[in-house]
Amino acid sequence: MSSHDYDVAIIGSGPSGIGAATALSEAGIKGIVVFERETEIGGIPRHTHHPSFGLLVFKRPISGPKYIQALRKRCQSVRFETRTTVTTLRKDGYMEIATPKGVKTIRAKHIILATGARETPRHGRLTSGLRPQGITTTGALQQFIYGANMAPFSHPAIVGTELVSFSALWTLRSAGIRPAAMIEESSRITAYRPAALFARLLRVPIYYNSKITQIDGIEKARGLEIEIADGRHETISCDGVIFSGKFVGDNNVARASHLTLNPTTELPLVDQNWVSSDPDISVIGNAVHPADMGDHCYIEGLSAGKTVAEILRDGIEDYEVVEITHDAGIKLAAPSIVRLKRQEETKINISFHVNAPYSGNVTVKLGDEIVHQTSKRCRPARRITLKNVPITEAKGRDKCPIHVSLADI
Amino acid sequence: MKRAIGQNCGHSMLDTPTNAQSRSDLPWDVIVIGGGVVGCAITRRFALAGVRTLLLEKGSDILSGASKANSAIMHTGFDAPPDSIELACMKAGYNEYLDISGKMNLPTMKCGALVVAWDEAQLAELDGIVEKAHQNGINDVSLIDRQTLRSKEPGLSNGALAAVEVPREFVVDPWSAPLAYLTQAVRAGAEYRFNAEVTGGTFDGTNWHLSTDREVLTCKLVINCTGTKGDYIERICHEPEFEIRPRKGQFLVYDKSAASLINAIILPVPSPTTKGVVLTKTIFGNLLLGPTAEEQPGRENARVDHDVLQQLIETGARILPDLPTHEVTATYAGLRPATQFKDYQISANGDKNWIGVNGIRSTGLTASLGIATYVEQLCAETFGDLIRFEPPKTPFWPKMPSLAQGAERAYQTGDGTEIVCHCEGVTRGDIERALSSEIPAQSLGGLRRRTRVMMGRCNGFYCSARVAELTKGKLTPPLASEGDL
Repeated sequence: MSSHDYDVAIIGSGPSGIGAATALSEAGIKGIVVFERETEIGGIPRHTHHPSFGLLVFKRPISGPKYIQALRKRCQSVRFETRTTVTTLRKDGYMEIATPKGVKTIRAKHIILATGARETPRHGRLTSGLRPQGITTTGALQQFIYGANMAPFSHPAIVGTELVSFSALWTLRSAGIRPAAMIEESSRITAYRPAALFARLLRVPIYYNSKITQIDGIEKARGLEIEIADGRHETISCDGVIFSGKFVGDNNVARASHLTLNPTTELPLVDQNWVSSDPDISVIGNAVHPADMGDHCYIEGLSAGKTVAEILRDGIEDYEVVEITHDAGIKLAAPSIVRLKRQEETKINISFHVNAPYSGNVTVKLGDEIVHQTSKRCRPARRITLKNVPITEAKGRDKCPIHVSLADI
Repeated sequence: MKRAIGQNCGHSMLDTPTNAQSRSDLPWDVIVIGGGVVGCAITRRFALAGVRTLLLEKGSDILSGASKANSAIMHTGFDAPPDSIELACMKAGYNEYLDISGKMNLPTMKCGALVVAWDEAQLAELDGIVEKAHQNGINDVSLIDRQTLRSKEPGLSNGALAAVEVPREFVVDPWSAPLAYLTQAVRAGAEYRFNAEVTGGTFDGTNWHLSTDREVLTCKLVINCTGTKGDYIERICHEPEFEIRPRKGQFLVYDKSAASLINAIILPVPSPTTKGVVLTKTIFGNLLLGPTAEEQPGRENARVDHDVLQQLIETGARILPDLPTHEVTATYAGLRPATQFKDYQISANGDKNWIGVNGIRSTGLTASLGIATYVEQLCAETFGDLIRFEPPKTPFWPKMPSLAQGAERAYQTGDGTEIVCHCEGVTRGDIERALSSEIPAQSLGGLRRRTRVMMGRCNGFYCSARVAELTKGKLTPPLASEGDL
């Protein structure tokens, strides 16, 4: 066994990565490094220049870059290595990283994956049509407008009505671009209702119950054809399309590694402390629950960092693993397993997203016993958290699964 | 400065008042119309033989038509029509590719293929497939039973009954190869023009005068390699005996995680009623599923269709049950320049100094080098001394940057620049080199095919703005409006 280059290597410098680095640093861990593959740290907030961050952490809305700057100040002693890509994860804390000098292998006592999430682009959605230029995502749009001071189009259409879709609207507005339309599959917007007012204020029509049947244009996008639920077809003249939302965890490094994936979500399996199937690797933030607000990720990073400091100090004790299952209406849940220390009760927080709107009780059963029940109003693309769900050791030892259900039972 | 050299090769006759100008009054020996894989291979063959050759391409880069979208398989010809021109060209092309690919650093994934039978009717066909393969001279083709098939391909669904193994079907990089052919041609003295669509032409008894929207170009011999436009362009010379009936094939590219689901290329048993699909790894480490086969009237609009792709996924899932758990990273459609005939339509018009190279269907990538040699011979036989072939000199062998999975990439050795496209491991250096190479990328498609930038699972979520900055002023159309907002 060779020695370790670092105590903790954190992959990704978005809010969750910075959160973990901060907590580790505060816990007195010295050898911390944060690897960031881009030329600047910050993850998604880096290119989100409007004030949609900080309400929970700083009690006021601030822009993404300022948010990252403020978070960075909280962990000044931590080393951030930009232009550094983790290409391979191995067992025993080994990983390969690529820098402009080439690839090398390094080793850390613990690895924290905080690789974030990205939107599902055109091809992943199997959208019909031609393949002109000008088809993009909100994340790319923000980098065009805020980062490069360039615009890939002058009157695009926005697909989706999640919060991030309105972020696209806001980004376009800052560049003086009024989109041709917003297109939504369902009968109402996915974001909070008042967001629709923002679109109306900007005189951007929202087409509901609509799906794209054609993207037109050979070199540059020329327009969209949509089919509305009542059978009507409309042609929207536009020179670009922004596919917004439908976030997926950017888990390709994890997927190519030895880590066990949750078979339904294909995201790395993590326990209540964000530790994966490999006790030397944690996975945090939107890489396991795409996609939550920056503040949520930062707070989660703090808590995960604290746990990792404890693991480094005490090791992971003998434990039982209990699986968390859920109804089909639940899209994903984190954690997906619980590691239970012997003869102990633990309280865990379970976060999840739903596929379709749901109002009513959410029930958690441990075997046959109801251990948690609360009334929730759930909307797709929003994080729902069940707090302090008690999991007892006795039940855990029986290998009773924990089941999350959208029902009274 | 490097960029200027690249432009010189492409546009020197018009743009630079150097020694090239003195030659510009002379007619070209040969003008090749169409910069698909066949046009590139023919330009190479003629240039290497000392023939003054010009390639005209209507798109903004080579491979702007049918050649950009195929399954990238180097076929042995085991199932080609016996005694066809197609089979002869495929075999010659296959052998020449293997012969020259090493010298040009072109990758070959030697994975073999399996023609898998999924029902009794298909099972009954397998013996005939082996027999035909042997008849075509592919003697290592053999039958394997269910058990052997399962051990070779554990990812296949239980419905797989048996297979014909074709050990020498390979996978190649369908874009680097034609680029290498044209690069070698350019180094041997050929020139090319992009955005040069031929709109008409006249033959004065000695020379052809071909019009593009910018100029009139004169040559002794025209070689028509325009793929899906083949019959239109053929009419400049004569009424063609064939009609191009484009056949559309839609494909799905799965993320690299899916590639380990198979080892060999999984081919369908061909049948007149059902058209099966191919599953193959790509040289870049992805998994490719397709094509569909749809007749369509249009010559350019290769649209993908959500419902058809959804059906394709279901078809794929019947072959590989684990496939749907993997992410789709790209969808595309290609148009095959099929005709009403089975065989290629290659012919020379001895009176009018014209060669038509038409109906080169999906086997064109394999056959292109063989077609080039065939056309060279056809030219010599038909036109005698009109085109003088010199004995080959030692050619320059361009070393193509290898984009293959597992090959050493710039980010691995370290070229001093950062990775820009994270999904495909493309560095800033890779992009800069593609913009200043012998045949520089002048469009986003050209840059993507040369580097793989923006070809990955995120479709440019992370890198497209950065690519727009790095390519400012160099691509048409640009990725974004330039200058301050």
